[in-house]
Amino acid sequence: MASKSTKVKKTINWIPWLLVLAILAIVVGRIIYLGTVHDRFSSAYFIRAFLESLKLGSLYALIALGYTMVYGIIRLINFAHGEVFMVGAFFTYYLFSFSPYPLYAAVIWSIFIAFGFMKIIELWRGKLKDPVVLASGAFAFVLATYLLSQTTVNFFVALVFSMLLTGVLGIVIDKIAYSPLRTAPRNSLLITAIAVSFFWQNFGLLVFTNRQTPFRPDTFLRNRMVFAVGDGTVRTTMLSFAIPLISVILVVILTLFVTRTRLGKAMRASAQDAEVAQMMGISVNKVIATTFLLGSMLAAAGGAMWGLNFGSLNQPAIMGILPGIKAFAAAVIGGIGSLPGAVIGALIIGFMENFMTAIFPKTAEFQGITEFKDTFAFILLIIVLLIRPSGIVGEDLSEKV
Amino acid sequence: MSENKEKLLELKKVTTHYGAIRALHNVDMVIHPGEMVCLLGGNASGKSTTLKAILGIVKVSTGEMYFRGERADNLSIADRIVRGMAVVPENRRIFPKMTVLENLEMGAYLRDDKKGIKEDMEYVFDLFPRVQERLHQKGGTMSGGEQQMLAMGRALMSRPKLILMDEPSMGLAPIFVERIFEIIKQVNKRGISVFVVEQNANIALGIADRGYVLQTGEVVLSGTANELLNNEDMKKAYLGEV
Repeated sequence: MASKSTKVKKTINWIPWLLVLAILAIVVGRIIYLGTVHDRFSSAYFIRAFLESLKLGSLYALIALGYTMVYGIIRLINFAHGEVFMVGAFFTYYLFSFSPYPLYAAVIWSIFIAFGFMKIIELWRGKLKDPVVLASGAFAFVLATYLLSQTTVNFFVALVFSMLLTGVLGIVIDKIAYSPLRTAPRNSLLITAIAVSFFWQNFGLLVFTNRQTPFRPDTFLRNRMVFAVGDGTVRTTMLSFAIPLISVILVVILTLFVTRTRLGKAMRASAQDAEVAQMMGISVNKVIATTFLLGSMLAAAGGAMWGLNFGSLNQPAIMGILPGIKAFAAAVIGGIGSLPGAVIGALIIGFMENFMTAIFPKTAEFQGITEFKDTFAFILLIIVLLIRPSGIVGEDLSEKV
Repeated sequence: MSENKEKLLELKKVTTHYGAIRALHNVDMVIHPGEMVCLLGGNASGKSTTLKAILGIVKVSTGEMYFRGERADNLSIADRIVRGMAVVPENRRIFPKMTVLENLEMGAYLRDDKKGIKEDMEYVFDLFPRVQERLHQKGGTMSGGEQQMLAMGRALMSRPKLILMDEPSMGLAPIFVERIFEIIKQVNKRGISVFVVEQNANIALGIADRGYVLQTGEVVLSGTANELLNNEDMKKAYLGEV
């Protein structure tokens, strides 16, 4: 069986490469052609588009990883993930814009932050009641209380705190909404996920705000950057480099976690065969909680940087929807269940939305495709589902028993 | 108590249900330390359910189970593994996208003694040189026989007192079945008790000390391997002699 499938793969392996080559040819052709049309299509214009695409792609990647991880473990398309992303962004916003907090509020925040920190340390120590875990929890509690009650929290601290809070939120969502349905039919779980999504949208409207929220923390990341390229200048901000860099760091940490640590390996084992993982003594509930913790943390980081990038947060009922389903499309395009697949899919969508609109801009004889950019992710999704339903790096679904 | 200590595993009138359907009915079974016991029976006779009940995947509805002298039917799977159970599941079911090394590590998931883990890995390599050769290969790329070796190695990595094997011969070439049973015997000689669920009665009784025969969830026959091999009903029903 195995030898057969590798044989088939070998014979069709050149098709994707041909496709990549064709796309590259079109891109290069368009760039050269546009150069002859108008002065403004200089190398600086394309470099800026490239940076923007990379930035958007890495934001989608942070969200897509959460979808793919949860799907890998419990085969649930967690439709509430876009809302987790939204809540993470708002947590960040509240942490940096309203600190210093009065002591009682700082203590309440800090309890959850400390719990999240303990959960992180637990990933390495194995037990929540471990002295190191308890000590680090106490330390995190004191530090967070001090920072929130005595100082104006800067963006990075707010980001880390928000990730911890949102991670805890992810675990809580799983415990309350999904864990009672572990043995229920999958559709029940899916409908519950949609309900959770609606709940947070309306919770956001009720508790956070009902309008667009400015998101402008005082951080060097928003500083302007101008550099000369060839005959033009690229105007951008530090974010063009910081967002991809932070995303890469988080993805590397995640990869190291799932390949190097015992619990991370247990996570992969559970994704491949949950029943046998259980037979090895792996606690599936712990693995699921860890999955929600990590996925939600990444979504929070994505949400915070999303706000930073666009300078504002959309109103809560809609903020999570479009980024959420685009990231979901990215996860499916890459091959749902696969971590590298999610990153690749997200980058592809980032580039389609941004770089493709840049190489098909509005010119004298063509109206451009910018207005349709929100549809690209879904067009690609349909194409991929038709040609290769398992996704770009996903394994063949039909072979699964 | 003292009587229990001589028995590694004891099932007393164990009954299990899948929903409203009764899968096992008043099953009594004993495994002594160092013994190799096989459980025979046709399709849907409850063989695999017995194994799952012992490991704790299927809940015991009535009856009692003792493992190493301790009441075990309410223990979690993890607790049973820590106390010395390990399983080689039906169809091997190794983790296909993890390396051979990672598969072995998963077998030792609940252990913390790095030195002991290393020793046991050496023992597995001794037993299965092929597994060592493929250490960094993905488990799914190995042949069926090699996967069976890996599944056994994975079970041994928890340093068990009792290995539960579910149909080790299934889907393997006859020549390999013989080899696997030889290895099972070798493992058994190290003092590890083995409980084999098997359809292939001839080969299982060939190496087991004792056997039980299950029919629609009830034990209908039990005895030493020789007794069973010479039993007339047994010959007709399972050994293929007329």
